Amino acid sequence: MQITLTVNGDKRELEVTPYTRLLDLLREDLGLTGVKEGCGKGECGACTVIMNGELVASCLVPAPQADQAEILTIEGLGTRDDLHPIQESFVEAGAVQCGFCIPGMVLAGKRLLDENPKPTEKEVRYGLSGNICRCTGYTKIIDAVMLAADKLAVEGSGSNDRSE
Amino acid sequence: MMRKSPMKQESRQPISGVDFEQYFQPKSLKKALEIKAEYQDQIEVAAGSTDLLVANYEKLHEIKNWLDLDKLDELRKIEVKDNKLHIGAMATHLQLMKSDLVKEKLAVLAAAAEDVGSPQIRSRGTIGGNICTSSPAGDLLAPLLSYEASFKLQSAETERIVAAEKFFTGPKRNLMEADELLTEIIIPLTENEREGTWIKVGRRKALVISTLTLSVVLEFEADKIVKAGVAMGSVAPTPIRLGEVEEMMLGRKMAELDYKKLGQEVKARINPIDDLRGTKEYREDVAVDVMVRALNEIERKKGGAADADNINS
Repeated sequence: MQITLTVNGDKRELEVTPYTRLLDLLREDLGLTGVKEGCGKGECGACTVIMNGELVASCLVPAPQADQAEILTIEGLGTRDDLHPIQESFVEAGAVQCGFCIPGMVLAGKRLLDENPKPTEKEVRYGLSGNICRCTGYTKIIDAVMLAADKLAVEGSGSNDRSE
Repeated sequence: MMRKSPMKQESRQPISGVDFEQYFQPKSLKKALEIKAEYQDQIEVAAGSTDLLVANYEKLHEIKNWLDLDKLDELRKIEVKDNKLHIGAMATHLQLMKSDLVKEKLAVLAAAAEDVGSPQIRSRGTIGGNICTSSPAGDLLAPLLSYEASFKLQSAETERIVAAEKFFTGPKRNLMEADELLTEIIIPLTENEREGTWIKVGRRKALVISTLTLSVVLEFEADKIVKAGVAMGSVAPTPIRLGEVEEMMLGRKMAELDYKKLGQEVKARINPIDDLRGTKEYREDVAVDVMVRALNEIERKKGGAADADNINS
């Protein structure tokens, strides 16, 4: 069966089976390997992507349910040369250890900051509660999201400054 | 050790020549009911799929027939009709926790929705899925019992309303017929002051199957309890409502209740098991404590509300 979806801004038409998960589709058909498979049961958050504006565990979304959806993966957020402020913050805060959970963490951070640009630490913890870091580096990950909130606030308020 | 992953092997096989006529994604409820009538229990119903995909991890390809309700937006509405709140079965946990209507009228249900799984699960998992999976640990089920919810079950030909209390018949079992779909959750509203509390006990805050849940909803007239809904999850083969404990509270003010004794009465009426989330003994002890805590919280909320009234007047 065929589905149509928009991934990182590009419209894609794909042949899928009912037992293709969104995770398989993104990694194997589209080569977006920033989406990780950890537990495969929706518990670790490594496969997190943003679908129609909301966080989802892509291992728990049958591909046909992603028909007509808009998907954002880590590849669509920033590039190595042009990092998104949240990605910059993760680098600056030293929040990345093995890196496996980071795509999911960054996207969970983005979803949180989209809705709540000035979160408290508690709100950050709640926003990231579906993502496990097996290196247990939570403190710096939370610092990174708080730092990203500050960065985005400065960017948002000083939009005229960007040309300088 | 090598991890065997039959699903992946299967999904890498060429798919040309295979048509998936047995994947139905109807756009109307009418069509969905016709399909259910035809396939009965030979079709897997997918709502948010968060339980379905976990239960069938690595053997998804074995599911031959799918009825995917994802496109039925008519089942995602939350609205008030005739002084009852109607929640479409496909409303997600995220919708419930964000809905002003639910937060205002059914605060305990909104709080339970907020404790389900994780953001990733809440955005996909549905109230209808939580009900139909009928796990004794389903987080929304105790609150639904407390609020005296009823469920609308439809088939192509018939429609019936079943009280939540009657619906659950055993672990992962309920009294739905093979040709029926759950379409709506109906909860009576009241003009009376209503206070309630939701407590979930688990090993972590997020992504945890409950060790025990308690939902208490009390309705007051002139500070006297005129209606009580006390329900628990993970303490019996189904979520249960504790009618006898409720009766002990009726006609009394909060100040006239003996919280500790009510906690003991709760403990006397549950029948938990030992499992990897906790022992029977642990659950019984915790049941007493959470009941006391719930009543303390309600007392505090009620006190707070009375103070606020005084300040305003």
